[in-house]
Amino acid sequence: MSEAAEKVESASDARRRILNIAVSTVLLETGFDSADKVALETLTEILQCFFTEVGNAAKGYCELSGRVEPVLGDVIMSFVNMGISIQGLEQYAARPNRHVIQPPQQAPAPRTPAMLSAGSKAKPAPHIPFHLPPLPDPHAYIRTPTHKQPVTEYEAIREKAASQKRDIEKALTKFLAKTSETHNLFNTDDNQVYPLIACKPTFPAYLTCLLPTDQVFDFDELEYHFQVANRTEDMPPDKKDNSDNEGDNGNDDTANSQTDTQDSQAPPSPKT
Amino acid sequence: MVMLLFIRTPRKEVFPCHYLICDIFTYLLFIFFTAHQILSLTGISFERKSIIGFVELTIVPLKDNLRYVRLNSKQCRIYRVCLNDQYEANFQYCDPFLDICQADPNTRSLEMFSQCHLSAAQRIDPDHNSGELHIQVPEEAAHLVGEGRGLRIGIEFSLESPQGGMHFVVPEGEGTLVEKSAHMFTYGKSARLWFPCVDSFAEPCTWKLEFTVDESLTAVSCGELLDVVYTPDHRRKTFHYVVNTPACAPNIALAIGPFETYVDPHMNEVTHYCLPNLMQILKNTVRYVHEAFEFYEETLSTRYPYPCYKQVFVDETEDDSTAYTTMSILSTHLLHSIAIIDQTYVSRKAMAQAVAEQFFGCFITMQNWSDLWLAKGIPDYLCGLYSKKCFGNNEYRYWIHQELQEVVGYEEQYGGMVLDPWQPPASGARVDPKDMFYFPVRNVHTMSPRYIEVMRKKSHLVLRMLEQRIGQELLLQVFNKQLSLATNAANTKIGSGLWGHLLLSTNLFVKAIFTVTGKDMAVFVDQWVRTSGHAKFQLTSVFNRKRNTVELEIRQDCVHERGIRKYVGPLLVQLQELDGTFKHTLQIENTVVKADITCHSKSRRNKKKKIPLCTGEEVDMDLSAMDDSPVLWIRLDPEMSLLRGTVISQPDYQWQYQLRHERDVTAQSEAIDALHNYPEPATRKALTDTIENEQAFYKIRCRAAHCLTKVANAMISSWAGPPAMLTIFRKMFGSFAAPHIIKQNNFDNLQHYFLQKTIPVAMAGLRNIHGICPPEVVRFLLDLFKYNDNSKNHFSDNYYKASLVDALAATITPVISVLQPGAPITADSLSADTKLVLEEITRVLNLEKVLPCYKNTITVSCLRAIRRLQQCGHLPSIPTIFRAYAQYGMYIDVRLAAFECLVDFVRVDGKPEDLASLLTAVESDQDPGVRHGLARLLINNPPFERAQRHRLDTESVVHRLWNNINSHLANDARLRCDLVDLYYTLYGLKRPICVPLPEIQAMMKQMHNKERERLERERELQKEKERQKELESQPVIKQEIEDVKYEPEIGPLEELPPVPLIPDLKDDNLPVPVSSIKEEEIKIDVTSVQDMPIRVYSDDSKREFISDNAAPLPGIPGTSGPIGFEPGMFRHDKELDLSGPKAKKKKKEKKKHKHKHKHKHSSKDKSFKDKDRSLPPRPASSTDHLKIKEETRETLSSFSSSQSPSEDMSTMQSNMSF
Repeated sequence: MSEAAEKVESASDARRRILNIAVSTVLLETGFDSADKVALETLTEILQCFFTEVGNAAKGYCELSGRVEPVLGDVIMSFVNMGISIQGLEQYAARPNRHVIQPPQQAPAPRTPAMLSAGSKAKPAPHIPFHLPPLPDPHAYIRTPTHKQPVTEYEAIREKAASQKRDIEKALTKFLAKTSETHNLFNTDDNQVYPLIACKPTFPAYLTCLLPTDQVFDFDELEYHFQVANRTEDMPPDKKDNSDNEGDNGNDDTANSQTDTQDSQAPPSPKT
Repeated sequence: MVMLLFIRTPRKEVFPCHYLICDIFTYLLFIFFTAHQILSLTGISFERKSIIGFVELTIVPLKDNLRYVRLNSKQCRIYRVCLNDQYEANFQYCDPFLDICQADPNTRSLEMFSQCHLSAAQRIDPDHNSGELHIQVPEEAAHLVGEGRGLRIGIEFSLESPQGGMHFVVPEGEGTLVEKSAHMFTYGKSARLWFPCVDSFAEPCTWKLEFTVDESLTAVSCGELLDVVYTPDHRRKTFHYVVNTPACAPNIALAIGPFETYVDPHMNEVTHYCLPNLMQILKNTVRYVHEAFEFYEETLSTRYPYPCYKQVFVDETEDDSTAYTTMSILSTHLLHSIAIIDQTYVSRKAMAQAVAEQFFGCFITMQNWSDLWLAKGIPDYLCGLYSKKCFGNNEYRYWIHQELQEVVGYEEQYGGMVLDPWQPPASGARVDPKDMFYFPVRNVHTMSPRYIEVMRKKSHLVLRMLEQRIGQELLLQVFNKQLSLATNAANTKIGSGLWGHLLLSTNLFVKAIFTVTGKDMAVFVDQWVRTSGHAKFQLTSVFNRKRNTVELEIRQDCVHERGIRKYVGPLLVQLQELDGTFKHTLQIENTVVKADITCHSKSRRNKKKKIPLCTGEEVDMDLSAMDDSPVLWIRLDPEMSLLRGTVISQPDYQWQYQLRHERDVTAQSEAIDALHNYPEPATRKALTDTIENEQAFYKIRCRAAHCLTKVANAMISSWAGPPAMLTIFRKMFGSFAAPHIIKQNNFDNLQHYFLQKTIPVAMAGLRNIHGICPPEVVRFLLDLFKYNDNSKNHFSDNYYKASLVDALAATITPVISVLQPGAPITADSLSADTKLVLEEITRVLNLEKVLPCYKNTITVSCLRAIRRLQQCGHLPSIPTIFRAYAQYGMYIDVRLAAFECLVDFVRVDGKPEDLASLLTAVESDQDPGVRHGLARLLINNPPFERAQRHRLDTESVVHRLWNNINSHLANDARLRCDLVDLYYTLYGLKRPICVPLPEIQAMMKQMHNKERERLERERELQKEKERQKELESQPVIKQEIEDVKYEPEIGPLEELPPVPLIPDLKDDNLPVPVSSIKEEEIKIDVTSVQDMPIRVYSDDSKREFISDNAAPLPGIPGTSGPIGFEPGMFRHDKELDLSGPKAKKKKKEKKKHKHKHKHKHSSKDKSFKDKDRSLPPRPASSTDHLKIKEETRETLSSFSSSQSPSEDMSTMQSNMSF
């Protein structure tokens, strides 16, 4: 974007330079030896305004008459409309000591970059009429991956998850070990290699241990899971054996046949 | 020394009166009974840990001339005793437990102690109509006493800082008491520890209980809550409870705290109380309590006898649960969330047990201590029935089997238990001397806690045997009858005389069985309840091909061994043959019984036919391993209907068949035990198949895994393939795509969960030819850590992770050091594997600080693992970390694990100070559970072997333990008995070797020392005079010396509560001493100084007692060896005492001198050193100067070397040479 702005600027610069030269030439003809920069710029500005006004008016007339491009008549009309006489203009243009301004050097037209062709163009299918343009490059209509495909291999994922988790834990414990008091396992003074964070007595001590924070459980969900979703009481007895309750249904053994009846009453819930 | 102290104590007045009473008052059984009791506690202060209260007993005399009433009361201060509110009565207080061996103060033998202990317990046994508190009915009140007329005895009392029976939990730190969850509760079954009463299970009465507490607190007690009344100032309120069903005093309990209340949604009568913030897990934990109620009510066809039931979960209990009338006090550590697996089993069982005890144990109590087995056995039996329903038959049978083995093991180690020692069996057999225990078994206050535990199990087993004899239904009918009789009785007034139905005794029980079933069980009771020990059978068998019989031989060879007795009666033998299971009942009449049993099946192994099992199933078996006998396996007494141990000899393949195909878990478990001895491929296959068998009981599978470890290790040279169980584990738990990575945890299948926990530990026990754990196993374990992922699990994985740490610890083998011996171990010198292991342990232990898991199970395992690394020489043996974890304020499980490590440390590298600090914790830790637990740890892993002249085996330890059991632990029967156990473990029944008899000692001393002593004393006296002058010119120094010096004199007085002492003396007595080493050094100084007066006499003589020229082993620090008493030493001591500072100084000087002398003989004691250090350098004065110089030198060198025990030792040797 910044490049385009630069170009516009340079184009207007070139135009303005030409106008500048034109004004200077007329001034020279008129007999001025020098002109203030400010004066010159003002004159240039006036000239530019004049041209713009003429151009605009000519465009208006041209569009009024249903054309796209102005013709000489339009320009003349605009002059007339502006109240400028065009008599003597021809003579003036053909005056003997007029200076001819060199036409500005044609700037080399920027080469349009060659179309990036990706792959070979597909031949139009037979049902497409021949008059239609050829198909564009395949990348224009074929889906191409825009990012790297994530790894779906189980092993790698587990590996990555494990090492990430471990890194986090390591960093955390290392930080804590550095910032808090530590126990030393060795008799040495430095305790850099295997520092153990010192334990702090808490009161009451049972609270953190009975309400652990190492994992976050949604207890309502668990409740649902164990009490409702995994209910075994309502299951037909044959299915019951497949339910994962604890090992007592493993082998209903015992020579004691009287106790077998006890066994069939499965524990109230899998979470015994 | 002890005597000396008592003379100065107020107890002095108490003691003589005891004998007086005994003389003038002969024991009369039941001269009165209690009808009603009011207990009112008003001033309950958490700050001062004290209560002030009032009790009023309404007693009914059974005779007109009642002149004395004896009640039980301990540690209470009694202000006033009033009869019928009018007459103030005189009272005397005498507790023989304050000095059990008063008659023989110098004895140090348990034989003697045991007798005194029993007589002390019986002297205050309410069943003998005696007690500590002796109330005299005044003459002017004599008219109040009349047969059958109620007499009210009001007693005002207070109790401050109770040492037992009642516990105040007041956490340190900021905040109000409520914020800190301060609470208190009573524990144990000794009501006399917190209020005066008739502390007998045989004295039920009705109760009125009133507790005035702060407005923010709740008081939970027995009976129905009638009313809560605010005091006029609205800052306190009074809870009024009333117990209308007669209850005995030991079943009265109280808990006060800022409890949260949860009324059971299934049963409105049941209320649960927990400490603040625990409501959620409380709700989960008590979810199934109502089922226990329903089960018992249904099984016993009786309604729950009380109108309500309360469960209070409190911190710092001794036991998991204790049942009292209408309430149970349970440990808060039973609470768990729904995501916890392992704790669930324990908690449910504990609560079910407590409910069962409401029926038997609380409602129906025992008549006498001898009936304890019924009060303990029946609830256990009922709880067993419930757990059979709840956890399954396998679990139940496995549990019974474990209990049986435990009972058998205990009896063989300590002697046969008699459940009811009161009445000898009809045969008149007496308890064999080999079955005598080192503690009296006739009173619960003198029994070892371990004994009570095992007795409970034995009672349970006996009741189960009874069930097999008369049938479950009939046994339950017997219970039902007792309960209905009791219910009827409970509804009557005391006058009806029916309250006796609330008590149960062995004889009553036998009678009830006879009434209900018509069967006379007297023989059974004689055999198993009144006779000690168990049977032990050895079975061998030979197959006789010609006659197609199995020739069995059952021997009872061990009948003369401890705990074992001859069994006569029927015995069931079960043979599994090719054609099915056949049971044969043999009559055992002799120690050797031979029987020929004809086989039902011909040998026909080639025929393909399914083999029927005892369950009726028919299975295919691979019979190729058999020879021509048709017997697949033989079992003895498969239903465990006897108390027996069995040794069955059968060939390996029979055991393998038994493991694979027998359906009974007990048989499988026995087969696994036997297969340890047959390391061969077939065993390996059988075990592997069992582990993989989804039909098998999970505990059997876990045991098979451990057995496979041993088998694999034994056949390591021929082992091919990957390490044992690796394949199984990968198959079961490896992920589908990558078997070497474990699946994400999913513990929904609990069988698999337990296997997943067990197999890594079992694998970690594997060793290769070099005796180390195979590297691939270590890698495997580290991978388990790495890939452990619990994010999708419904359960917490804390126990699993802890078992992984256990597994890591189990891989550790003794270090093969490339270092120079003696070079310090540093982090760099570790082997690569150890580094990995240590890194893992450090990581999880550190992580636990930020994210603590349930009950800190991981920390517990890590501490053990660190100790294991220390034991194997990978880490220097430093106790600092364990001390930190053992301090008060850490979680109880962590503390106990840390103490376990410390106990082990003391045994291996400990110095006397380390042992002393452990003993301090036993004596004075704040948590009664820790005191008891630590004592048990010391018993299981004693600091030194008996009579090995270990460096820790010092006289001061003997005296310390002795003083504890003899007097200091008068109020904590359980801990006292724990320490008796410890004393027995350390010293046996006789006088400890390190404390020689005073006579011998004196004799030796006279022979060798008399002359020298005299000379020395003279010299000392002179020096003392010189020094006295010096010291007087230097007042500052003098002060210092005196400080040190006074301690020995005053130190032992500390147990007298009212005497205010110098602050640093109190320090010594304070709990939580294990905070830092620096502190400890100071403390140790003080403790050892306490013992100085004794050592003064002993240093020389004890050496001579060993042998004339015995030189202590070099390198053992502090071999102070045996020391003892000398006639007249107390008198001497007293003289010194009386003669003031000057005399003391003299004594000290003398000791110093001997100290020096001792050095020459290489013995050294740190405590002296430390003290010497505190002495300022003195100006030169002839020989004195020389001596001090010597000492200083040594002090410095040993001081610098006191960092590690090993270093200490080395410097010691160099010191010795000068």
